[in-house]
Amino acid sequence: MTRIRKIPFWSWLWFVLGAIYFILPLFATLEFSLSMERDKIGLLAYTKAFEDKGFIRTFTFSNILALATIIASIILFVPTAYWIRLRLPEARRLTEFITLLPFVVPAIILVFGLIRIYGSPLDVPFTNIELLQPLTNSRFGTNILIVAGYMVLAMPYMYRSVDTGMRTVDVRTLTEAAQSLGANWFTIIVRIILPNIRSALLSGSLLTFAIVVGEVILASFLGVDAFGPYLFLLGQHLAYQPAALSFLTFLLTWAAMGLIQLFTGGQSQTVGAH
Amino acid sequence: MAYLNLSGITKQFGETVVVQDFNLDIEKGEFVSFLGPSGCGKTTTLRMVAGFEIPSSGRIILDGADITEKAPNQRNVGMIFQAYALFPNMTVAQNIGFGLRIRKEPEAEIKQRVEEMVSLINLEKHADKYPFQLSGGQQQRVALARALANRPQVLLLDEPLSALDAKIRVSLRAEIRAIQKRLGITAIFVTHDQEEALSISDRVVVMYQGRADQIGTPFEIYNFPKTQFVANFVGSLNTAVAEVTDTAKGLLTMDGIQLVSADNMENLHTGDKVRIAIRPERLNFVSEGRKANIIDCKVENITFLGSVVRIQMTVGNAKFNMDTFNRPSLELPKIGDVQQVTCSREAVLILGSA
Repeated sequence: MTRIRKIPFWSWLWFVLGAIYFILPLFATLEFSLSMERDKIGLLAYTKAFEDKGFIRTFTFSNILALATIIASIILFVPTAYWIRLRLPEARRLTEFITLLPFVVPAIILVFGLIRIYGSPLDVPFTNIELLQPLTNSRFGTNILIVAGYMVLAMPYMYRSVDTGMRTVDVRTLTEAAQSLGANWFTIIVRIILPNIRSALLSGSLLTFAIVVGEVILASFLGVDAFGPYLFLLGQHLAYQPAALSFLTFLLTWAAMGLIQLFTGGQSQTVGAH
Repeated sequence: MAYLNLSGITKQFGETVVVQDFNLDIEKGEFVSFLGPSGCGKTTTLRMVAGFEIPSSGRIILDGADITEKAPNQRNVGMIFQAYALFPNMTVAQNIGFGLRIRKEPEAEIKQRVEEMVSLINLEKHADKYPFQLSGGQQQRVALARALANRPQVLLLDEPLSALDAKIRVSLRAEIRAIQKRLGITAIFVTHDQEEALSISDRVVVMYQGRADQIGTPFEIYNFPKTQFVANFVGSLNTAVAEVTDTAKGLLTMDGIQLVSADNMENLHTGDKVRIAIRPERLNFVSEGRKANIIDCKVENITFLGSVVRIQMTVGNAKFNMDTFNRPSLELPKIGDVQQVTCSREAVLILGSA
C-alpha cells in the first residue's frame, strides 16, 4: 500500500517543482506588467503597448510571415512525406535526420548561411552571367529568405506532424483506391490525403505559428521588421511594455496549444523530438 | 480473342520471380478466382491487371486494347481491397460518387447513379454516414458500389472478405456473386480460401509458386485435380504411396491392399511407385457384396464438424480421414474398432510418381 502511495507523492512533488519553475517567472512577468503605475494594479502597460504603431505593424507582419510559412510548409512537406511513405520508405531515416537538424544547428548559423549565399548575386558557375540578384537587396527577396528560414526552423514540428498524421491513415491503399477510380496525384493529395491529416496539419501549423511570431534571430539579422526584434528593441529602453507583450505572446502560444488539444481530441499527433 | 487476355505474364522483383509465364483468357461476364497460398503470386497478378504493377514481360489485352503499361487511373477497372479503403473524410454517397466526380460527369447524373448504387447494396438509410459509422460488411459493400459506379470493364477483388467474420463472409460472398451476375460484369477474385473460390466462381485458377497450376471450373478443380498441389490445396485429401501392378486394368497395391483406379495409367509401368489420393467423402463403410477397393482400417478418432462427421483411421502406415453426412440414424463405429471401408474406382486418383 505504502509503495503505491509513495509513487504519486514523488510524482506530484516533481510536478509541483516543475510547475513552479515554469510558472513563477511567468507570474513575475505578469505581476510586473500590471504595476506600471505606482502602488496600483492596472493595465496601463498593455494600453501603452497597444497604442504603439510599431506593435500593430510588426505583429501583423509576423502573422503574415507565419501564414506564409505555414502554407509553404504544407505545400512542400505534405507531398514529400506522402511520396516517402508511398515510394521511398528507404529515405525515411535520412529525412528524419534532416528534420532534426534545426535542433542541432543554431538559428544564428542558419541566418549567416542564408546571408552568405543569397547576399551575393548568383552566377552561372565560371561565368559572369548573373542568374539572380542578391535576395537580400530587396524587401521581397528578404521576405522570401526569412520564410524559407522559418520553414527550416519549423520543419521538425511540421514535417513530423504530417508524417505522423499519415501513419494513422492507410496512405497506400487509399491512394490505390483513388487511382483505380481515375484520380491523378494532385487530386489524391488535395482531396484524399490533406482532409485525412487535418488535425495533424493543424497542430503542425499552430506550432509553426508560435515559433514564427516570437522569433528574433532570423528577423533581426535579416533586418525584417517583425514582432520578435520589435519586442527585443522595446526591452532595451522600456521596462513595463515588453513584460506585457511577452506575457501576451505566452498566452498566444498557450492558446495555440489549447487549440491543438481541442482539435485533436486531446491526442496531439505531434511527436516532440525533444 | 477473349475479353481479357493475359499472355506470358512474368513479374520479377529484383531476383525474385513472383509470377512466371502466366496465361489466361477471361470471357466477358465471367467470374474467375485466383486461388493459392500466400506468396503464390495471385495478388501480384491482380495488381498487374489493375496497373499497380507493370509486368516484367508479357501483355495484358482488355477488350482489344493493350493496357500492359497504362497508368492505373487511365484504365477503367474497379478495385476492391481487403482493407475496404473507403475515404474516411467522405460519406457513403460521396465515396460512391468520387469516381464520377473525377470524370466530371454532370451533378444530376452523379446523384442518380449514386442512388442507384446505394439501393443496389441496400444501404439507402446509410448514404449520409461516414465509413467509421458502418460495420465491416457494410463498408465492403460501399467499396463494391464505389467500384461499380464507374461502370468498370473489369472488377478486381483482392481478398475482399478476409477481414470479415465468418457469417458476413458467406452472405457477402453470395451478394457479390449475385450483383456480378445481374450486371454481367467481368470479375477477378483473389482468395486463399478454397471454399470461397469454389463457391463463387465460374472458373478457378489455382496458383502455386507464381504459376497457374490448374485452370478449370470448380467442379473440375475439385474432382479432377491435375497436380499434387491442387489436390492437396483444394479440399482435404488422403494420400498414400501405391505400387502399380496392372496398367491395363488400373490395378495398384497399397500396403498389400489391392486398389483399382479409373485414372489413365498409360504412362505408367508395372512396379512404378505412385502417389494416390482419395477424398474423405468418397470413402464408405463396406456394404455386402462389394469386391473391389476393400480397405482394412482401424478407427482412431471421431470428430463432429456439424453437418459432417469425420472419422480418422489408420490404413497400414497411412492416416486416412473419412467424411460422412451427419444424420440421427447414423451408426458410428467405436474408437479402436477394426473396419473395412471402400470407394469407387473413380475416387482413386493418381497424382504422379512418388
